Amino acid sequence: MPTSVLIEVGEGNLREGVNSFLRSILEKKMLDALLVPLELPSGGMTAPALVSDPAMLGNANPLAPIMTVSTARLASSLTKVAASQRKVGVVLRPCELRALIELIKLKQASRENLVFIGVDCYGTCSVKDYNRLCQETPAPAEELLKRVKSGDESLLRDACRVCEYPAPINADIAIGLIGTDTGKGFLVRADSAEGESVLEGLGLKPGVAVPEKEREKAVAELAASRTKNKNELYSRFEVETTGVDNLLSVFSACVNCHNCRVACPLCYCRECFFDSATFDWEAEKYLGWAEKRGAVRLPADSLLFHLTRLNHMATSCVGCGLCQEACPNDVPVFPIFRKVGEELQKMFGYVPGRSLEDELPLSVFREEELGEVGES
Amino acid sequence: MTTENRNSNAALVIGAGIAGIKVALEIAESGARVYLCDRQPHIGGTLVQLDKWFPDNHCGLCKILPVFNRDRTGQYCLRRGLLHPNIELLLHHQVKKVEGKPGRFSVTLKPEYPRVNPELCTGCGICEAACPVTDDANFNQVPGGHRAIFLHHPLALPKTYSIDAERCTRCGACVDACPTRAISMSAPDEGLQLKVGAIILSTGFENFDATTATQYGYQRYPNVITGLELERRPGGSGPFPGVLYRPSDGAIPRSIAFLQCVGCRDRKRDYCSSACCMYAIKEATMIKEMYPDTDVNIFFMDLRAFGKGHHRYYDKARDELGVRFTRQRVPAVKQDFRTGDLLIMAFDQSGEVITSRFDMVVLATGQTPSREFEETCQILGIKTNKWGFAATGAFSAVDTTREGIFVCGTASTPQDIADTLVEATAAAGRAMGFLGSEKALPVTPPRPGEEEAGAAVILCNCYGQVGQTINLREIADFCHRAPGVAYVEEVVHLCHPETWREVKARLSESGVNKAVIAACSLLPPPGLYEDTCIELINIREQLAWVHRDDGLKATEKAGRLVNMALEKIHSQEYVPPPEGESVVPGALVIGGGLAGLSAARAIAERGFGVEVVEKSDALGGNAGHVFSLLGGENPREYLENLVDEVKNHPRIHLRLNTEVVGVTGHIGNFKCTLKDERSETADIEAGAIIVATGAGESRPSEYLYGRAGQVITQRELEAGLASGRIDAAALRSVAMVQCVGSRDKDRPYCSRVCCSQALKNALNLKLLNPETEITVFYRDIMSYGFREEYYTRAREAGVLFVRYEPEQKPQVSLEDDVLEIRATDPVTGNVVIIRPDRLVLSPAIVPPDDNTALSRVLGIGLTGDGFFREMEAKFLPVDSPRAGIFLCGLASRPQDIRETITQAGAAAQQAAALLSRSRLTGGKAVSLVNERRCSGCELCIAACPYEARVKNVEKGVARVIEALCQGCGACAAACPNGAASLRELKDQQLFRILDAAL
Repeated sequence: MPTSVLIEVGEGNLREGVNSFLRSILEKKMLDALLVPLELPSGGMTAPALVSDPAMLGNANPLAPIMTVSTARLASSLTKVAASQRKVGVVLRPCELRALIELIKLKQASRENLVFIGVDCYGTCSVKDYNRLCQETPAPAEELLKRVKSGDESLLRDACRVCEYPAPINADIAIGLIGTDTGKGFLVRADSAEGESVLEGLGLKPGVAVPEKEREKAVAELAASRTKNKNELYSRFEVETTGVDNLLSVFSACVNCHNCRVACPLCYCRECFFDSATFDWEAEKYLGWAEKRGAVRLPADSLLFHLTRLNHMATSCVGCGLCQEACPNDVPVFPIFRKVGEELQKMFGYVPGRSLEDELPLSVFREEELGEVGES
Repeated sequence: MTTENRNSNAALVIGAGIAGIKVALEIAESGARVYLCDRQPHIGGTLVQLDKWFPDNHCGLCKILPVFNRDRTGQYCLRRGLLHPNIELLLHHQVKKVEGKPGRFSVTLKPEYPRVNPELCTGCGICEAACPVTDDANFNQVPGGHRAIFLHHPLALPKTYSIDAERCTRCGACVDACPTRAISMSAPDEGLQLKVGAIILSTGFENFDATTATQYGYQRYPNVITGLELERRPGGSGPFPGVLYRPSDGAIPRSIAFLQCVGCRDRKRDYCSSACCMYAIKEATMIKEMYPDTDVNIFFMDLRAFGKGHHRYYDKARDELGVRFTRQRVPAVKQDFRTGDLLIMAFDQSGEVITSRFDMVVLATGQTPSREFEETCQILGIKTNKWGFAATGAFSAVDTTREGIFVCGTASTPQDIADTLVEATAAAGRAMGFLGSEKALPVTPPRPGEEEAGAAVILCNCYGQVGQTINLREIADFCHRAPGVAYVEEVVHLCHPETWREVKARLSESGVNKAVIAACSLLPPPGLYEDTCIELINIREQLAWVHRDDGLKATEKAGRLVNMALEKIHSQEYVPPPEGESVVPGALVIGGGLAGLSAARAIAERGFGVEVVEKSDALGGNAGHVFSLLGGENPREYLENLVDEVKNHPRIHLRLNTEVVGVTGHIGNFKCTLKDERSETADIEAGAIIVATGAGESRPSEYLYGRAGQVITQRELEAGLASGRIDAAALRSVAMVQCVGSRDKDRPYCSRVCCSQALKNALNLKLLNPETEITVFYRDIMSYGFREEYYTRAREAGVLFVRYEPEQKPQVSLEDDVLEIRATDPVTGNVVIIRPDRLVLSPAIVPPDDNTALSRVLGIGLTGDGFFREMEAKFLPVDSPRAGIFLCGLASRPQDIRETITQAGAAAQQAAALLSRSRLTGGKAVSLVNERRCSGCELCIAACPYEARVKNVEKGVARVIEALCQGCGACAAACPNGAASLRELKDQQLFRILDAAL
């Protein structure tokens, strides 16, 4: 049985409660540093930081419903060259944790000496919405929590509204909010030996009755309603994105800025193929195409860029939606990538981020697979 | 020194079947030259007529092609031809005279007449139409339509017609008809003179002529066919691909009987052909896979599935596919003349005669020496044995009676493909010792695209076959308009050597160094064209043939293919040939038994250093327990000499009490960690590793072994008789039990040597005391090859053979120190009771437990039975799955002393061929890493099927082991950002080609 502890907090003190839990980890030297979002001095906006001084954690805001960059990416840059002998706790949303698992399998990050602290996530807002929320209330995290719990998801990003993984998987320590009366407390659960030893070192013992069952039920319910949202989203985009002509039209707003690629936690290439000279052609070539077809749209490779990116990361896409946030022209990259990713992952029976043991679908060969593809 | 006194660096291989091809390739890949001759006008021997092979029921002939410097050799199906810069084919030639001495033989060869000159023959087929002679037997073994001049194999390269000299009436019709005057009826007097250092005889066998076994009605009853006919009829390139028709009425047979030992194991040929049980089971398996409801019944005497993996295959055919096995030699076959059905008389369990009806009967005919073999041996000055096969020694399967002349394959003893290939490799190794050290010249790789002289396009019409569908004029016009095309040429038939010479001359005159050749699948690959960057496209089979009904579209497609090819050669950058991997010129041999020592000596004799590592404190291994061979020879002296030579050899370093605990690196560059008895470690480097760790004898747990003093093993009996501890004169009765711990559920394999051992010991006992009663309880006597004669001798000497079923083993009991054996004869049901003085058991040969640990250290797998797994059971029986590691001796499979020496010779040859290379490269088209772009995600490493990609841990990027890379491009496909690419096909080039297709 994993150790689950309910940490009680006073009304309105959820953020402070979580922060003091994190602070105690550093204070008691259970870990050497934490990678966690800190609120900026100007207030509201957060930015991830590697914190070694427990005093700095007063500014931490792991519950702030904003995700400007995926922490998976940061954990990758932190550990890729060489992992440290010191232990670092990484505070992650479920989608960040799943992305990090994929990056580890892709050898872009190291699991060594990292302790995953996963936080339940009801969803995040776009930067614009978050800033507006910050102006409306001094406690945006609690405010959004309240709204979402009461069924108002209007401030959530599309990706979050359709997210079926509100609770972290593969965390060493999970911070549970769903199914818990967050006015009174939150749940801390050790999901690995590593997590157990941290909780033990903190002297946390199961005391008050832990609402495990309630949490499980609430997570399932949330996931179910999100699946419904997802299907609605798919049907909304289905018509406008089916067929090459429609795709071309949808992607016509693309300016080839490649921001989606920069934001994507799974686009790990050191130099993107589309930044190389491979697609630089002589004028004669373009004229040849124009001659052959009457006209050639320029830039010539924007749809190819998206299809190629899709081809490279779709099996590992965790649906974080950061691509969508990065797009200056509202090209619906998220619904397309999410839908294609989901279909593809289904074919391989693969769930990105589910387990470090699941092998990447394209790196294993099974004689009996993709039968349905061949038949259709 | 003058050339006269130097050994020739060429070898002559006589017979271009699978054995000859393998010998030739081994010698050629060791750097020497080979003349490969055959009296037939084509290569491939018997094997090209077979489509599918045990154990995976696929074709695998191409697996013997070289893996290094692939571009120099024709990497295509050996049914079509063999191209190697160091091999000269002398087809349709016969050896007439051999003079001189080893290292400096002088050989005279003469071409066979009537003859079709391969230089001139275009394969047009006009001669065949002109030939008035028709006959029955042909490549497909199906009656009808076969003239005296014919094309042996539809895909043969060069596509040269052959004349069957026996049936040809010399009417001259073809000579007059031939448009290129390629045919001549009579021979000019001069022969061909060759200087060679060694000669290898690999002439193979001839199938027993089934018409002489009149009791089976072959060629009288249409539904009686031979095993070879059965192979051909439904074969992929056969007359009825994929279906098996009954010859008399074209019906699908519902029942088929196989009759084994046709032409063997009788007074006239008292030997076993070794391969027929397995080929019958294979054919039965194929039939069952095609028609699961067809009843297949194999009538046999002893089921000889003694090779590696054979017993499992037999179990599968019987238990999973439902092939029936009936132990009986069928006396005669009769035909029901109304239906064409065949009637076989057989005894049932109660001894009653019952008649079974079959739709078809297949005769599993045995191997016999070819008709001309005796004459060939006389010319070579070598002796034959009493059955007419080449005579070989007790300790060498490949040395003939004349020094410098070797033999391999079925020319010396009937055997299967795997054993043939082992022998061929060993023979090549022996022959290399007699050849001069001068290396054959390497071929310079082409240097494409350096200057812009434009490209040539050559369009082959194939005697109008292409033009019928494709408008070649339109293609030519298109090419003229395309940029960078210097000239376009349409030829009637590019296969014609004269045409080819003209085309090449024009290419060099015009100064172009790039060309697109639009022809067919028969043309050699581009690597064989010197100095020119050539792109081949197939407009015959893949266009003109498949799109026969739509010329317009076919023409359009042809245009696009030409366009793609032009785009490819225009955008081809010059890439210097890969440097390749360096090779450490020494070998590590693991195991100091007969196999390891033989291999070590052979490698050292080729001039390379050898480290021999032996786990125990003594050399010799299992061979030390053998006191005589089946033929009476003494192996101890042989072994002692070998041990002495190895101990005193300046290039061999021995390490006793030492184990191998770590192996890293790859072919040509292994780093091995050794540990001695004081646990001190040493690191050595080796270019090749030979695994010769042997095997042990199982300790029987049955038949009161260890509980009654009278129960001993064959090895204990042999040692007892040799030392005199067992007095044969005092033995009244001896019983032997075979297959103790072999061929059962736990060990589903045959230990191969025990039947011969039992025969040897039984004959020895009878020699020492003819009065001793000997009873052998057996399941199948595995006296394969010439061992059969000793089985006959044992029966003649009065040894009693009683068969038992594995479900009903002999029962042994001990009462008042009297041993009693009870067994039930499975045929008569009679109970046999014997009270012998000694019960001698034949325990299984078992792989040692340490194999598991060693297999992990070496990174190579074990078979389900615990022996080391080879790369491929049939075609690569010496290679382990990890390149550069070779297997021999009992570590690989149960086998006898001579077989072990042969396999050790083969492993040594493969190691020496590898060590003799200065650098290892697969081919030009190996893959590359762009380190700046590589993110080190390792997807390419997972994708590489050849383990040619590894991580450079220091740099965090992928690295290519060029020696292992086969240029398949899987890495380039897996890499998301082009950090992995192929040397000769860059991304942008690929996009250009794709673009040209659209």
